[in-house]
Amino acid sequence: MAMNYNAKDEVDGGPPCAPGGTAKNRRPDNTAFKQQRLPAWQPILTAGTVLPTFFIIGLIFIPIGIGIFVTSNNIREIEIDYTGTDPSSPCNKCLSPNVTPCICTINFTLEQSFEGNVFMYYGLSNFYQNHRRYVKSRDDSQLNGDPSALLNPSKECEPYRRNEDKPIAPCGAIANSMFNDTLDLFLVGNESDPTPIHLIKKGIAWWTDKNVKFRNPPGADIPLEERFKGTTKPVNWVKPVYMLDPNEDNSGFINEDFIVWMRTAALPTFRKLYRLIERKSDLHPTLPAGRYYLNITYNYPVHSFDGRKRMILSTISWMGGKNPFLGIAYIAIGSISFLLGVVLLVINHKYRNSSNTADITI
Amino acid sequence: MVKEDETFPCDLIFLSSSRADGTCHVTTASLDGESSHKTHYAVQDTKGFHTEEDIDSLHATIECERPQPDLYKFVGRINVYNDLNDPVVRPLGSENLLLRGATLKNTEKIFGVAVYTGMETKMALNYQSKSQKRSAVEKSMNVFLIVYLCILVSKALINTIMKYVWQSEPFRDEPWYNQKTEAERQRNLLLRAFTDFLAFMVLFNYIIPVSMYVTVEMQKFLGSYFITWDEEMFDEETGEGPLVNTSDLNEELGQVEYVFTDKTGTLTENNMEFKECCVEGHVYVPHAVCNGQVLPTAAAIDMIDASPGAGGREREELFFRAVCLCHTIQVKDDDEVDGPRKSPDSGKRCAYISSSPDEVALVEGIQRLGFTYLRLKDNYMELRNRDNDIERFELLEILSFDSVRRRMSVIVKSATGEIYLFCKGADSSIFPRVIEGKVDQIQSRVERNAVEGLRTLCVAYKRLIQEEYEGIYKLLQAAKVALHDRERKLAEAYEQIEKDLILLGATAVEDRLQEKAADTIEALQKAGIKVWVLTGDKMETAAAACYACRLFRRNTQLLEVTTKRLEEQSLHDVLCELSKTVLHCSASLTRDSFSGLSADVQDYGLIIDGAALSLIMKPHEDGSSSNYRELFLDICRNCSAVLCCRMAPLQKAQIVKLIKFSKEHPITLAIGDGANDVSMILEAHVGIGIIGKEGRQAARNSDYAIPKFKHLKKMLLVHGHFYYIRISELVQYFFYKNVCFIFPQFLYQFFCGFSQQTLYDTAYLTLYNISFTSLPILLHSLTEQHVAMDTLKRDPALYRDIAKNALLCWRVFIYWTFLGVFDALVFFFGAYFMFENTTVTSNGQVFGNWTFGTLVFTVMVFTVTLKLALDTHYWTWINHFVIWGSLLFYVVFSLLWGGIIWPFLSYQRMYYVFIHMLSSGPAWLAIVLLVAVSLLPDVLKKVLCRQLWPSATERVQTACLVSGPPLGSHPLASL
Repeated sequence: MAMNYNAKDEVDGGPPCAPGGTAKNRRPDNTAFKQQRLPAWQPILTAGTVLPTFFIIGLIFIPIGIGIFVTSNNIREIEIDYTGTDPSSPCNKCLSPNVTPCICTINFTLEQSFEGNVFMYYGLSNFYQNHRRYVKSRDDSQLNGDPSALLNPSKECEPYRRNEDKPIAPCGAIANSMFNDTLDLFLVGNESDPTPIHLIKKGIAWWTDKNVKFRNPPGADIPLEERFKGTTKPVNWVKPVYMLDPNEDNSGFINEDFIVWMRTAALPTFRKLYRLIERKSDLHPTLPAGRYYLNITYNYPVHSFDGRKRMILSTISWMGGKNPFLGIAYIAIGSISFLLGVVLLVINHKYRNSSNTADITI
Repeated sequence: MVKEDETFPCDLIFLSSSRADGTCHVTTASLDGESSHKTHYAVQDTKGFHTEEDIDSLHATIECERPQPDLYKFVGRINVYNDLNDPVVRPLGSENLLLRGATLKNTEKIFGVAVYTGMETKMALNYQSKSQKRSAVEKSMNVFLIVYLCILVSKALINTIMKYVWQSEPFRDEPWYNQKTEAERQRNLLLRAFTDFLAFMVLFNYIIPVSMYVTVEMQKFLGSYFITWDEEMFDEETGEGPLVNTSDLNEELGQVEYVFTDKTGTLTENNMEFKECCVEGHVYVPHAVCNGQVLPTAAAIDMIDASPGAGGREREELFFRAVCLCHTIQVKDDDEVDGPRKSPDSGKRCAYISSSPDEVALVEGIQRLGFTYLRLKDNYMELRNRDNDIERFELLEILSFDSVRRRMSVIVKSATGEIYLFCKGADSSIFPRVIEGKVDQIQSRVERNAVEGLRTLCVAYKRLIQEEYEGIYKLLQAAKVALHDRERKLAEAYEQIEKDLILLGATAVEDRLQEKAADTIEALQKAGIKVWVLTGDKMETAAAACYACRLFRRNTQLLEVTTKRLEEQSLHDVLCELSKTVLHCSASLTRDSFSGLSADVQDYGLIIDGAALSLIMKPHEDGSSSNYRELFLDICRNCSAVLCCRMAPLQKAQIVKLIKFSKEHPITLAIGDGANDVSMILEAHVGIGIIGKEGRQAARNSDYAIPKFKHLKKMLLVHGHFYYIRISELVQYFFYKNVCFIFPQFLYQFFCGFSQQTLYDTAYLTLYNISFTSLPILLHSLTEQHVAMDTLKRDPALYRDIAKNALLCWRVFIYWTFLGVFDALVFFFGAYFMFENTTVTSNGQVFGNWTFGTLVFTVMVFTVTLKLALDTHYWTWINHFVIWGSLLFYVVFSLLWGGIIWPFLSYQRMYYVFIHMLSSGPAWLAIVLLVAVSLLPDVLKKVLCRQLWPSATERVQTACLVSGPPLGSHPLASL
């Protein structure tokens, strides 16, 4: 600090007292900014100004909230837990690792018909996809089709980086633990033959992920298997990545099930989109009320970490799936704000006189 | 050898100059800021050496003291060896020393020998002189920081412990889908726990707002320009504006509780005007138009009654001569006029320059009474008497002025060979030494003058015979040559010499009050600041000045603790008695101050003088001194104004220190203009220097320098208030926004297995404090004006609203922190319930953890910025630009950041996350809802507080709103 102003003294130490000319220069400019007199809007939060805001918030939020709540309530959703921990559950047999492949069937009834597009999710609980070690255990360059990253995956993938001296494609814990149950839905009609419901497996991943972020290794004419040459499948996988789907558009890194899985969930209880069920026509509901059964090829072990597996069928509105929270919150906040407005109005009225006299005494 | 206009490269002993009389002129503007020319003297025995060969032939040794930083002190001795003779010993003082950094002026060249070089030079030693001052805001900031540090550590600790509790089941620690590497598994448990702890610390470290320090520094640095730019604080006369030497203490200006002000040059103009002189009871008043003639006026009654006889006449002339001779004034020829003063009506144009304006006023006054001091040449002082004859006196010795003795003397030899000692000084230091003269008459006159607020000096003389003089000469020489304790020995010698004087008369010089000094003091008192005047002047003079500047009002009851009173009573009795009167009243005072009517209550003014103060401060062996001190402080606290007179510079600092370290630790401000105020300026929390006439020493050592005392009002009431409001809001807001930032992160750990997973993307983590939320608060803290400037000036009582660090007290701090925690809970759980086990897109696709974080982050950025917008009372276009601009920047940045596959990044986790989030309707609804919920409690609190328990500031704000912008404010302000 001392250095500071001594240095300054030296700079202007020369003619500080010289009269006339320098005095003019040293005079500060009379600009609005320097004199702190910029034109300004000076709002003050008083009961008077805030009151209308509270009422307006109340009046806007409550209808919005009601709208959302109604929309959310109109959404049909059914959740079926097929973990099989309950001994009576048909999937209980699949808990032991010896039974492979294990197929179990769960019956359920839709009380109401599902109209419009229906979305089929699988849900996992107690599965920490957001664990730090897990989240970072991937190589985005490899998934983007970078040939060098394909053969030499990022260190972040450890311990799922190499297997038997071959690089794993796709590497990392996320890919390795990809969900591999197969779910099939059948409608048990009046006839003896159950009709399988057509499940669409495209359009479940983000368009940008499918087309930009995830890419197979380069080589348009070469078969997919060749492009993945020199790599090995993840340890827990049954099939290599290029055999995830017979259709080459949906195989390799751009397999949509894979892409969906790779988007790590925010919370330990999550659901991921599994299949779409498109509505056939306006007249028939997509899933009419009735009895259904779910055929599960049970591969994915969750019992070891106390996890649960669910299958969810849901219709979707403009605001997504069933979520009563937002509507309730809107209604609640709207009401609170309206109430506060009333309280403030009373206070304002009651104390106006006293505050006015206080002003006068100043 | 140094040539004209060159700067001395090191500290030199001045051997000879090109001038015949062995002097040279030097300006030390770069050292102490005083631009006047100072004369230095070559060593007597060497001043004849004019060529390099001569210098080569010189054989001499120099002894000098160890290097020390005082610019004005030097003690040394030179032994010159002439051929074969005994060496000649000469004393060396500061007048022989040419300091590094000073510049040679008006002298062609000089020869010198280096004594101190490099880091030992006085200039270098002065660099590290100042101690660091910290503001109260900074101190509370550090305390808050420690609190946050504790929060950080406990957060990390909680999470680490939770992690290991949670992980105790192996399927959680290492489920099949998420195995550890071999290396991780083998790591020692303790080591692992420790690295986990550190990882949590890293994760949460943003709660310690490192960027706050940067922003605070920037705010202080940039903000201090507003002081320098202030046009109202620019002084037209001197062409000086305010100076800011340190920007660390801006906000401290808004916290001042005690102002210690010097009187001379601070409250008063220090523009001395010779009013009258009194010789043996006859009063002379010079008139402006007197053409160098004596005009003893009718105003002096004694004068008419008794026309001076022959003896009186002689005395009178002796008095004039004494005043003419007893000083240290230099005379500047016209061509080198640089000094502040020119003699107004002298035919021969010359200017007197002196470090003391009193002397200049005296010599000029005497000039108008007929005696003109011409110059000092070859040790002869020349003066022109009434008959236009030139008289020459040989100057034998100068016993220079110091503030302890409070007098100075010269010993001169007249042309007729008579040796006189003339002594001039404060009455208290002269009267005890007088053995002859009309003491009573003069004393009564002096006292009368003092009551009128005039500065009085007494003049006495003594005729010496040759033998006496030789004795004196030896005494002085011995003292001067001494290497150790030279000061003390000199003082002793002076003591011996200056006695048995004959009183000649007294002079009175008027020192006018600075313009608006009274107004300023009144405003400061209204603002709840206690004003103390510390002066070296005598009590009557000082009290008169205090009345004039309304420090004491007519109804003020004066309490005196003075030497005079202490002669009658013991200190103990006096103090007890006073405290009884004061405390008795203070009970009613405190009661009344609640009702805001304290102004009507009897207030007390305390007068204390230096001697009494030193008695109070003196540590007693029985340990009762602390009692006195406490008692004294008690009395002082209950007095509205305190006047301390007869203060030595060090005592001023002592007083400041006493108050500074008293129970309440009040913030003190010292303001002064002279070298004697430097110690108190350095001691006080805030030191303000007046860029005055007594040199720039005070301004140089101060934290802020202002041209006039009246500027203190704006400095404290407007700038100080603004700075305090701004910085405290800045500090609180920073803590708040970092709590908002990091608390969701903490909560997220409970949902991700305590794995230190970040909620936000790295770019957001980095840029949050740097670019998304930094500029609005910085600009807010530069431009915020919660109340218009004019209102602050008009209503000083508003200053009380922020006293005692009111905006950074624990209550406010905890409020902000809890607000931050509340907002964080809203962000996090709002987003949590949105995302929990559902989809929020109309195409059924799901979002991942990064979308979750981005949603929280978006809500947070908007809330935090809008919260600032709610706090802004002064929306200039800059605020609009910055607040809306930074929100826009956040959106644009996010779009860009997620819009491209960045080739240099190893991960693409943010790809299209933001855009997808915006494509979802519920996300928009959630953002609106959560922002509204977060802001609601704060708005509510503000409105309710304003309505139910309004502070004075808020009342004024509301009043302004009702009555429109106050008169005199900018017409556009109402826009």
